[in-house]
Amino acid sequence: MNSRVLQVFDELLRSPRAVAERSRAGGDLRPLFIASLSALVLGAGVFGATLATSRGGIQLFYSGVKLPLSMVATMSLVVPAFHAIAAGLGRPLSFSGTIGLTLAAAGRGALVLVALSPLIWLSFDRGLAYHPGVLLATACYALAGLAALDLVLRAVGFDVRGVAIVGLFSGVLLVTGGQTAWMLRPFLGRPSAASVPFFRHRESSFLDALQQSSLSSVGVYKAARGLSDAQRGAMPSQPSPRLETSDEPR
Amino acid sequence: MNAVVDVNSADFDLQRSFAMQQSFATIAAEPSLGARLTSPETHGFTRELARLGAGLGLAALYGLALGARTGGMALVQHALGASAGLAAVGVLGIPALFVLLALVNAPVSPSAMLSAGARALASAGFVLAGLAPSAALLAVTIESPNAAAFVTRSGLILAGGIGLLQLTSAVRDMLKELPWAPRWKCNALLLGFSVFAIMLAARVWYNLPILKGAA
Repeated sequence: MNSRVLQVFDELLRSPRAVAERSRAGGDLRPLFIASLSALVLGAGVFGATLATSRGGIQLFYSGVKLPLSMVATMSLVVPAFHAIAAGLGRPLSFSGTIGLTLAAAGRGALVLVALSPLIWLSFDRGLAYHPGVLLATACYALAGLAALDLVLRAVGFDVRGVAIVGLFSGVLLVTGGQTAWMLRPFLGRPSAASVPFFRHRESSFLDALQQSSLSSVGVYKAARGLSDAQRGAMPSQPSPRLETSDEPR
Repeated sequence: MNAVVDVNSADFDLQRSFAMQQSFATIAAEPSLGARLTSPETHGFTRELARLGAGLGLAALYGLALGARTGGMALVQHALGASAGLAAVGVLGIPALFVLLALVNAPVSPSAMLSAGARALASAGFVLAGLAPSAALLAVTIESPNAAAFVTRSGLILAGGIGLLQLTSAVRDMLKELPWAPRWKCNALLLGFSVFAIMLAARVWYNLPILKGAA
């Protein structure tokens, strides 16, 4: 069993097509499950801890635990959606095959994150600021996501239908994964923050933050929520400095 | 399998497509629930009704997930509402489409139409059920009513779109042998039906409290 797990580990990187075929064909998928889950937990853990080097201290441990937790939770939630979308668009897979394929894709993505971890660490070590650091981390996630979706695309087929399945699944994955990660933030932690919380209090949502960031990028700033009416009344009528939550740790 | 995978020659695509057909054939031998519900095969009246009922039941799971935002009676309201949108298209839209197609002498039979409708509604219901776990997380954790409504609407559009695609593909398959002119008429009717089905489902689904901004 151990040798098969190691073989699958190697295949995740070198032969995504073989992994895709194995998931689709069904049969004994235990080595695939074990190898993919190990890659997912280890890879996301290493990347999470590396992100936290910008803050250091206990944040290293928190992020190392929370990022794998976030990815595993997201995978558990989106597997039924992937299974249903593939079946609905005429490419039905067995449910165990769908789980194997999704886990394998996530594991492959996590291994790409491991490969990018030294770059993140070096960038923070050389003094990369907080906001460019967030952008760099986002670019790493995007690269890992592409490697993962490549594996899924090989399983459902490189044609219009396959691309449609992967595109729709990506939409579900982005929203669900975004919200899960939003609930578990912060991952980086601000160097200036006095204390490091394991979770931030429930606030807004990933979609609201995305909308707010998009508006901010074109110069439209929304006032922070939670201000009382009295405070609003006391505010000057001129446009105030930014009071949005984009400054909060991510 | 690895031999097929590692081949790097001109006929690689052919071999890969053959391998895909083989594995999909294997799946067809032991079909999953999704494969059974979305299968293009026609069955008897009772089995088609069962498929239709399964689709509506599965759609209710999505409604339950949305209802978890406020809990209590909202669970039932959303469960019924999510299924009702699909049921309305099945009860009001599909028989009307059959009548209109028959008027232009399209080669459609009631049983084939029932099968196409059952498959489409089952596909939509299955997709809604698949989206239910994500919808539950999002409905419960998103604070803004607008964002919650956006997520709900996206799920319904995705599932409804897949159902409509299944139905129109099945009907277009029945029209393949028709000459150009009557086929054009049938396609125009299908387009009209699609617009009607979207408006009807939207009319019913917009009664869901979560889409009316319920916190």
